[in-house]
Amino acid sequence: MTPVRVAGLLLLLCAVAAWQVTQIPESALQSAVGPVLVPGLVVGGLALLTLGYGASALRGRQTDESLTPGQEPLPGARARLLSLLGGGLAFGLLVGWIGFVVPAALCGMGVARAFDAPLGWRSAAVCGSVALIFWLVFALWLGVGLGPALRWPGAAA
Amino acid sequence: MDTFGALLNGFSQALQPTTLLWGFVGCFLGTLVGVLPGIGPALTIALLLPLTYHVPATSMFVMFAGIYYGAAYGGSTTSILLNTPGESAAVVTALEGNKMARRGRAGPALATAAIGSFVAGTIGTLALTFVAPWVVEAALAFGPAEYFCLMVLALVAVSAVLGNSVLRGMISLGAGLLFGLVGIDLQTGQPRFTFGNAELLDGIEVTVAVVGLFAVGEALYLAWQGREARGGEVMKVTGRLWLSAADWARSWKAWIRGALFGFPIGAMPAGGAELPTLLSYYTERKLSRHPEEFGHGAIEGVAGPEAANNAAAAGVLMPLLTLGIPTSATAAIMLSAFEGYGIQAGPQLFSQQGGLVWTLIASLYIGNVILLVLNLPLIGLWVRLLKIPPPWLYAGIIVISIGGVYGAGNSVFDVGMLFFFGGVGYLMRRFGFPAAPLIVGLILAPMAEQSMRQALTISQGEWSTFVTRPLSATLLAIAALLLVAPVVWRRLRRGR
Repeated sequence: MTPVRVAGLLLLLCAVAAWQVTQIPESALQSAVGPVLVPGLVVGGLALLTLGYGASALRGRQTDESLTPGQEPLPGARARLLSLLGGGLAFGLLVGWIGFVVPAALCGMGVARAFDAPLGWRSAAVCGSVALIFWLVFALWLGVGLGPALRWPGAAA
Repeated sequence: MDTFGALLNGFSQALQPTTLLWGFVGCFLGTLVGVLPGIGPALTIALLLPLTYHVPATSMFVMFAGIYYGAAYGGSTTSILLNTPGESAAVVTALEGNKMARRGRAGPALATAAIGSFVAGTIGTLALTFVAPWVVEAALAFGPAEYFCLMVLALVAVSAVLGNSVLRGMISLGAGLLFGLVGIDLQTGQPRFTFGNAELLDGIEVTVAVVGLFAVGEALYLAWQGREARGGEVMKVTGRLWLSAADWARSWKAWIRGALFGFPIGAMPAGGAELPTLLSYYTERKLSRHPEEFGHGAIEGVAGPEAANNAAAAGVLMPLLTLGIPTSATAAIMLSAFEGYGIQAGPQLFSQQGGLVWTLIASLYIGNVILLVLNLPLIGLWVRLLKIPPPWLYAGIIVISIGGVYGAGNSVFDVGMLFFFGGVGYLMRRFGFPAAPLIVGLILAPMAEQSMRQALTISQGEWSTFVTRPLSATLLAIAALLLVAPVVWRRLRRGR
């Protein structure tokens, strides 16, 4: 990723947002300003700013921390990012099936792996404890709707 | 009722055992998150928000105020002992504080930071107590046009003045405004930017965005770098945890000066504690009788900025409570909390929710005392926290973040949004986009749009209403000046 690509991403966001502005239904209500004006102005303004950013990035005037001495990523950056994101994905996929604690523990293990902790019993024990304590405090004690701590796959919700 | 009477009433509420307990919990949590790198008061309040709606509003806001003040206290510990500021306003403290620790004077550094925070926090709270009613009186004359212009000023100030680049600040603000407009239009009921998805009809949850940006975004960034896993060297607490007569003599003026920088700057629309801490540091360096010690561990360089930081925290509460305008990410979350409880922040708050406001202000005085008592004796605990290995620390932060977001709506879609904003936060951190404008934009976008539309309805569609009313025209002029001034200033400096 580079600042030029960030500008590209922002332009894509603006294009999608502009398409969404065209999809806003006209209101039957009489008012000085309808529901389209402000979104249109915001998208237009953001697009203009993005063009400015893109032009500046093309001239190499925008910052990227990875190019700052001492801040550049150590080898294995992509694997670490994927490990962290994988933890989140595991949580999203499993929480509806097997309850809160195991997916949250798996998510924690993914995060810990992203910070160079080996996947193993120690990681499972630490992350499982954090997830269990969180569930006990918030779901059991404070009544927050985290769902059951554990659920057998296929069991009724 | 006069200010003093209202404050006394506030004290009678704030000293109730339950309220006091919530204040204590807030101060403890605040110090904890201030000490821990990668987790700040905005994230903590955002996480607690959906989990605590069944707690009475007064107790909750007393706790949030404790978290806010506590984080300002706690940030200094990490700066001094680890040379890694727990929050951005404590960056300056690290300059001299860590050098003092390396010279075997960690105790006096921590003591001047804690006592200075207490002194400045109390001065800031006093200023808030007696200035806020004036601001409220003035603000009662505001109509929708003035409100809209005030929000424009706040948005521009947060985006253009803070951070390194006006362009990146404005892009961050633009993205925040865009995300803030997602959902049903409040006046016409038309869906906007929802992609036909029912989950987006209520708009983007502020909690999800904030937790994503700050917790997941920060974790992604640090994981990408891969340097955090190595950890830093935590200095031992050496020297007495108190000040000698010479240290007192060198500290007290710096505390007062720091407070005088912190409160007014914190209360301005650009808000923030970074600028007053920097100003305080350079002033102390200029005025010190021991300028040769600066850069090697001068106590004034810790005392002044820490005082400025805490007074600014009180200052930031002023526009929030009196005008309903957030000038920092944490204030924006607190505004969102007011909305969550169905309370309208702004000048009406003092008349309609006087009990809550004065209890909150009284609890700030009490919180300052709690923090002074809490900070120094528990320093051993904070040091132990600093030694938590990064993998377990960040695993804990993300598990709690995911649990908090999932628990709020029992929605996997929200968890997906959490990681979407995490990705945005990672990119913003890596490419130098400030996060505060995005959050403030996200929260103020619907409010600003409503004010603008109300003003135009009143003026029968005349856009000139924003420039013909003296107050709104002045606010817009200041906003324009803030937008242009940094660019002109930079050009002038480059030209020299």
